[in-house]
Amino acid sequence: MKIGGSKLNLIALGLVVSGILVGCGDSGSSNTVTPTPDANTAGGTTPTAGTRKAPTAEGNKADGDTIKIAVVTSISGENKPWGTDQLEGCKLAVDEVNKAGGINGKKIEIVEGDTASKPDQAKLAAEKVLSTNVVGIVGEVSSGNTIQIAKSAFDKGVPVVAVGATKTTLTDEGAHVFRVCYTDAFQGPAMARFAFEKLNKKKVAILTDNALPYSQGLSESFRAEFTKLGGEIVADEKYESGSKQGTDYNGVLTNIAKKAPEALFMSGYFTEVGPIAKQARAAGITAVFLGGDGWDSDTILTGGGDAILGGFFANHYNNLDPSPEVQGFLTKWKAAHGGAEPSTTMGALGYDAMALTIDALKRAKSMDSKSLMAALEDTVDFKGVSGTITLKGMNGNPPKKLIVVEVTKKNGSNWQKFATSYTPDQIK
Amino acid sequence: MAALDFTTLPQQLVNGFLLGAIYALVALGYTMVYGVLKLINFAHGEVFMLGSYGAMFASWMLGFGPGGNDASTGSWVTLLLMLLAAMLVSGSAGFLIERFAYRPIRNHPRIASLITAIGLSLLLQYGGQAFLLEGKKQAITSKVNPFTNDFVFDLKKPDVGKVQQAAALQPEVDTAQKLFDERLKTSEPGGVFNLTPDGDKLNKALAAMKEKQNALIKESNASAVSIHLPKGKLIMLVTTIGFMIGLWYLVMKTRMGRAMRAVSVDFNASSLMGINLNTVITFTFILGSVLAGAGAMMYSTFQSAPIDPFSGMAPGVKAFVAAVLGGIGNIPGAVLGAILMGIAENLVTWAGYSSYRDAIAFVILIAVLLFRPGGLLGSNKVEKV
Repeated sequence: MKIGGSKLNLIALGLVVSGILVGCGDSGSSNTVTPTPDANTAGGTTPTAGTRKAPTAEGNKADGDTIKIAVVTSISGENKPWGTDQLEGCKLAVDEVNKAGGINGKKIEIVEGDTASKPDQAKLAAEKVLSTNVVGIVGEVSSGNTIQIAKSAFDKGVPVVAVGATKTTLTDEGAHVFRVCYTDAFQGPAMARFAFEKLNKKKVAILTDNALPYSQGLSESFRAEFTKLGGEIVADEKYESGSKQGTDYNGVLTNIAKKAPEALFMSGYFTEVGPIAKQARAAGITAVFLGGDGWDSDTILTGGGDAILGGFFANHYNNLDPSPEVQGFLTKWKAAHGGAEPSTTMGALGYDAMALTIDALKRAKSMDSKSLMAALEDTVDFKGVSGTITLKGMNGNPPKKLIVVEVTKKNGSNWQKFATSYTPDQIK
Repeated sequence: MAALDFTTLPQQLVNGFLLGAIYALVALGYTMVYGVLKLINFAHGEVFMLGSYGAMFASWMLGFGPGGNDASTGSWVTLLLMLLAAMLVSGSAGFLIERFAYRPIRNHPRIASLITAIGLSLLLQYGGQAFLLEGKKQAITSKVNPFTNDFVFDLKKPDVGKVQQAAALQPEVDTAQKLFDERLKTSEPGGVFNLTPDGDKLNKALAAMKEKQNALIKESNASAVSIHLPKGKLIMLVTTIGFMIGLWYLVMKTRMGRAMRAVSVDFNASSLMGINLNTVITFTFILGSVLAGAGAMMYSTFQSAPIDPFSGMAPGVKAFVAAVLGGIGNIPGAVLGAILMGIAENLVTWAGYSSYRDAIAFVILIAVLLFRPGGLLGSNKVEKV
């Protein structure tokens, strides 16, 4: 009994330690997806057609009574606010076309896949939906998860329309990957210009979430543009989100505070940015906070409190935009959700991604993956809620407008105040 | 690699010490349970997580909920009630876990308890996702804490001449600000972000003034060495030390403490000497869990740590490592190990390697265990059969 006991404890310890090491290994491997500097510094929307490898697999064919399209997204886990909005947006687009009689008399059926906000689960979810004869996949909201989906879909020859995945190198996965959002190669430089030209900030600190390929790419493109403009990066610190490192950021914040930056660019997600903002103010950092579309959530105020107010971030569209696309979408969304507006932009982007897929299916020669892929590639001036989408010769990256919004409070809840906007032509 | 900045070293050591104090409160639970049962309670991190929820729900009930009044701030009574709520929730969780998960299989081979512990930990994490506000990330509002100002200890004063120069620039900055504000109000239809050339000129002039002033302030601070200690964190530290003194008294000076120590020396013999094992073990679990609950409340209130069903994992793993580092089963060892862990993490960050924070902390652990397999304060003696 005694011998058994102590030996087993040693084994237990071994298990735990190896578990920790394996854990580190995991994050290490996700970190190895380093952004290519070229892709990030060049405006990102320059068409260099025909360089992407096309999948050789046949793909799926819709042969039943319905046309199946997969929606793979973060239905559970940390990115749930985005994932559920995407799913609801997709459903809205599908309901609309089904009510109008479907495509050639065939109704569209959504096959849901839950990535649980984790890349390894994203791979499993993608493989699961791919085995159900879907002609295309719509998703995901985060770049790290979309890369896994794109890899699995490549082997099957099924096209992927990414919703909120902005990492520049994502579309290098193959000619089957498209997106309805702008890239970090546009978002980073746009925020750099905003900081340098509009806010007059010359000394900036950067805080990157090393667990997110998205955050790494965004920080890289921000840094490149900001130094090109003549600004100075006074501190460049890293943290890691997820359950491994905990939520004490005082170490990196002390380093940043000493450098007295005028602005702090935080390229991570709202889940970490909120608490970091609070701890940063407590550590004596007076800088203006800046970020990317990873900040977009009405729960950023829950974590950030008053500390995050007055921060600026890049976003895809604004609910206050008077254009008929935006207001029409909002009316439909409100009717389906008891008067509530979508809490993140992923609702509109999810709607756009699905509507684009349906539009491409209507244009496609036949109801299979190959024709869908060709029709998506041929998209010109598709009128989406979040802007006009052109994919022809763009390597899957549509040139789109970006808006900069300020985090403010109205009647006690989150209010994204429009600050300014950038078009791809402005960032060259 | 950036050059080492020794002016921030004292602040980083303080950061590390404060973080270590929280790890210590959690590590004590691991080490005490191991002491009496030779069981590693993997669900301890989840007990910590439940404690944070306890504190948060208490703050909601006291009127600091998501839709609460923005204007009101808490008092020390609010903080105390939250602390008690967290301790109550964690203590009950610890009691229930021991009573229903570990006690029924106490006499089975130890591997059964180990698997139960891991299973329980996963059950609470994923169960929490289903039941605790759908697993969404939450946070305790900083409004509950009325003690917001800092203590600043100047170890080396900033350059007084530069500070005065910076202050002397203030009227000029104010004038530039006033000019720009007036222009903005009267003749800038595009607002701050789409200025006319004239407005832009005023804005640039203002920015240049501010930059000049900032440069002076930065220069004056370059050689200054100071430690910022927010009052909240000081409260956290004092409370933690209080808990540790209380624990020391309990373990060393009371009857129950003596029974705990006896059980940790020899489980079966202490039972023969008339010690009620069930009582002692239950007491140990509750004691460890209550400390974790206190740590959880302070971590999520004074460190603004977000709360979700997985938020116990990181502190749990770190505290477990700290307990092993100090010598598992040894109470002062757990405290020492925890503080060393906290300081090591912050020193790695200070040296400019924030990406490798955890990796280096664990390398230190492995190095220590290579030379002292029993941990820093643990016994190295081979267990007799």
